[in-house]
Amino acid sequence: MEQLLEMVRKVSDKSEIYLVDSRGDSVSFEDAHLKDIEGSIQSGISLRIIKNATLGFAYTKNLMNRKELIQNALDSLKGGVEGLFELPLTSNLPSVDTYDPSIETLTNSAMVEECSRVCEFLSQKIKGQINMSASRTMSRLRIVNSSGTDLSLKSSAYFLHTEILYPYSSASLHRTLVSKTFKKAHDEYLNFLADTYNQSKKEMSPDGRKMNVLFLPETMYVLMWRLQNATSSQSIYQNISPVAEKINKRIFDEKLSIYNDPLNDNLPHARAFDDEGTPCSHFPLVDMGVLKNFYYDLYFATKLKTSPTGHGFKGSVSSKPAPSLGHLCITPGNKSFSDLVKSIDRGIIIAGALGAHSGNIPNGDFSIGVAPGIYVEKGEVVGHLKDVMAAGNIYDILKNVVEIENTLHPCFGGNFPSLLFDNVNVTIKK
Amino acid sequence: MFETLRSMISKATAYYADIRYEIKKETKIVFNGKELFHIGSNSTDGFVIRILKDGGLSSIAYTKADDNETAVRIAEENAVLMARYVNSPVKFAKTEVVKDTFLPDIDEDPRHVPIDEKLQLTQNYNSISLKNEKIATTNIQYNEVIREKYFMSTEGTEIREDLVTTSIGGLITSKDGTLTQNVRVAVGGSKGFALLRNQEEEFEKKTVIALDLLNATRVAGGTYNVVLNPDLAGGFTHEAFGHFSEADLIEDSPTMREKMQIGASLGNEVLSITDDPTVPRQLGFYCYDDEGVKARGVPLMKQGVLVGRLHSRRTAAAFGDGLTGHCVAEDYHYAPIVRMGNIFIEPGKNTIENLLAMLDDGLYILDHKGGQTSGENFTFGAQYGYIIKGGTIRNMIRDINISGNLYHTLKNITAIGNDLVLSKTGGCGKGQLNIRSCSGGPHILINNVVIGGM
Repeated sequence: MEQLLEMVRKVSDKSEIYLVDSRGDSVSFEDAHLKDIEGSIQSGISLRIIKNATLGFAYTKNLMNRKELIQNALDSLKGGVEGLFELPLTSNLPSVDTYDPSIETLTNSAMVEECSRVCEFLSQKIKGQINMSASRTMSRLRIVNSSGTDLSLKSSAYFLHTEILYPYSSASLHRTLVSKTFKKAHDEYLNFLADTYNQSKKEMSPDGRKMNVLFLPETMYVLMWRLQNATSSQSIYQNISPVAEKINKRIFDEKLSIYNDPLNDNLPHARAFDDEGTPCSHFPLVDMGVLKNFYYDLYFATKLKTSPTGHGFKGSVSSKPAPSLGHLCITPGNKSFSDLVKSIDRGIIIAGALGAHSGNIPNGDFSIGVAPGIYVEKGEVVGHLKDVMAAGNIYDILKNVVEIENTLHPCFGGNFPSLLFDNVNVTIKK
Repeated sequence: MFETLRSMISKATAYYADIRYEIKKETKIVFNGKELFHIGSNSTDGFVIRILKDGGLSSIAYTKADDNETAVRIAEENAVLMARYVNSPVKFAKTEVVKDTFLPDIDEDPRHVPIDEKLQLTQNYNSISLKNEKIATTNIQYNEVIREKYFMSTEGTEIREDLVTTSIGGLITSKDGTLTQNVRVAVGGSKGFALLRNQEEEFEKKTVIALDLLNATRVAGGTYNVVLNPDLAGGFTHEAFGHFSEADLIEDSPTMREKMQIGASLGNEVLSITDDPTVPRQLGFYCYDDEGVKARGVPLMKQGVLVGRLHSRRTAAAFGDGLTGHCVAEDYHYAPIVRMGNIFIEPGKNTIENLLAMLDDGLYILDHKGGQTSGENFTFGAQYGYIIKGGTIRNMIRDINISGNLYHTLKNITAIGNDLVLSKTGGCGKGQLNIRSCSGGPHILINNVVIGGM
């Protein structure tokens, strides 16, 4: 890597090398039986160079041919992509504990045994189909740039994902356990799935209209996706954000505080620096309903004449950094999940969402198939629904948050509680 | 190359092993609005080994040849572990041993087109939308992916095949006050760079739609009779029906297998559906899948009756069906899984005018905007639509998402158009991305569809 940096220095004004190595294993079960075991040993290197205020980019898998990598980056300069930003000099970062060495001794056999144990436990309580997967990953990241930054990070992660499917469907109740190394699935996790499934077994078809809607943590990403799009510096720069003029103005219910929490190393993948070497920090997005910040990477911070906020992350080695909120959290409320359900006179719990990607995201609109929808009457789960759609706009429904669950659950898109809303449009086919 | 792969695979002690080596060459050009955001060409490569040992199947993907011995050892250990736990030993359906090189016949190889010319063409298309002041921004990309694949198995199969995929497309976003709307645009396919030329009309048409959507009314949620255009009919066929023709998705679901039995009458008698990766010049075209099996067309539904499924070697053996050649990987990061090639509703006899007359009052909705399925339930978005009154096209509508039950909807397809069209770009994300996922159909009439309005 040092040799590559030295070669690049000779042909560019500024340069940055990003290197990642990862090793992963996963086991998956379908219908409570082992279906697959897969392994992965991956590596990748990407290179950004700036020459005469123009940005070049290239990537490869192995450092077998350094000259070709540099030539690809030099060739991409010809397009004239603007490169006016400075690469940061970053050091003395807060310490984050991202690696648990015990992950190295976790075997596929142990993950298979844990999945078997969970399947057996659930099979004694429910009659639905159980699918699950367990995985471990270990990765090493290093970022070196011509400003003198040299940062590295080792990460470990263990995931256990369990789903109970409703008949004739892949709609499921599902939840993921996340940690830095192996942790046995606890009873509370398993009982939530089993009890909620058993209570919702009956298929129902009530009248659709505006009603209470409880988004489980697993479906909060539908709403947060729209907010992330609106508060991205890319949307601000492109003049398509509906909240561009709303900094320090109330946009949501005052119960709602949303922040990015990259330094929280209780969860895997904590980060003290982003994929450009900019320091990360606790980052309020919405505080008690008031919009506080937009988030920036180096490119869009320079475009908008402000400072980067440590949110330049790469989707993969082959992509350039872009503004991203990868550690999103919602401040928990005061009520337990069961108390939230008890407070619903008539409504649905959105346990799975279909088509979250197909609404008008920049506008904040969503229109999702609910699969499954769990039906609640008089404070009790009484069944599940099919052929249901829920629709709305986040700038309407997040103004009327009834209650927020008192516990955070790591899930796709962040670390969220369940949220209860009033008067959401629900269409149910009779 | 095969000599090297033979040496690598020889480390395996298993009954069966295969290795796939791929060189993936990508060229990407991205405009955000009028600004060039990215341009570059890069090449990466990697290996995937699969081991079938003692009735257990396992795979590993790796990027360094030096890791080969480790990778083989891990895959063999995992296969043995699989064998200890699986319900019944994994078997592969027998396939012909093939030694072949298949380099597709393409109109203008993009590898020979200078990147400056690709940049110019992308910039020209991008500028079409940006001429209008109510177009707030665009995200228009040139994407070229060339997979040079080498497949070898211990059975003796050795196949070299190239897949060349090119596209220009993305998102056009209009804005009026605080209201933003967007429309997807895409041209491309598997037949080379020539497909991308002279496509100004498509970009002009989609720009007009993005602008018109600013004055469209929001569709009211409810149950409607609808006519879907070919792009949306293809999206429905892929999302709602096609995925459950993929044998690996239903293999371990007792309730889905019960519903999806061959011979079951699931659809209206007007409905026939086929998947055929061998349709020449189409996006989903290939000769051999990533298990070295020659692809073939598979009738899936004939006059409403389920008649076929799509298979890997493993699922074909498990179901006792014939091989179809539908086991495909995104690239060298992944082992192959069962995928659709070109899936489409067979054309009927009705013109679009006939279908709108039959609809009388309802909605005419157009162009796929992403979808998802959960077994019997599906949801997909439409880019725009029109209210139909007395068979006549009236106001434009927006914010359209369709949801339904697969089995009810297949029965509720009551008339089929005569104008089959297949998609030019794809992007199915069943665990891995398949950019050559191609779907299509003619216009179709469906009764009682749930539309989620705002």
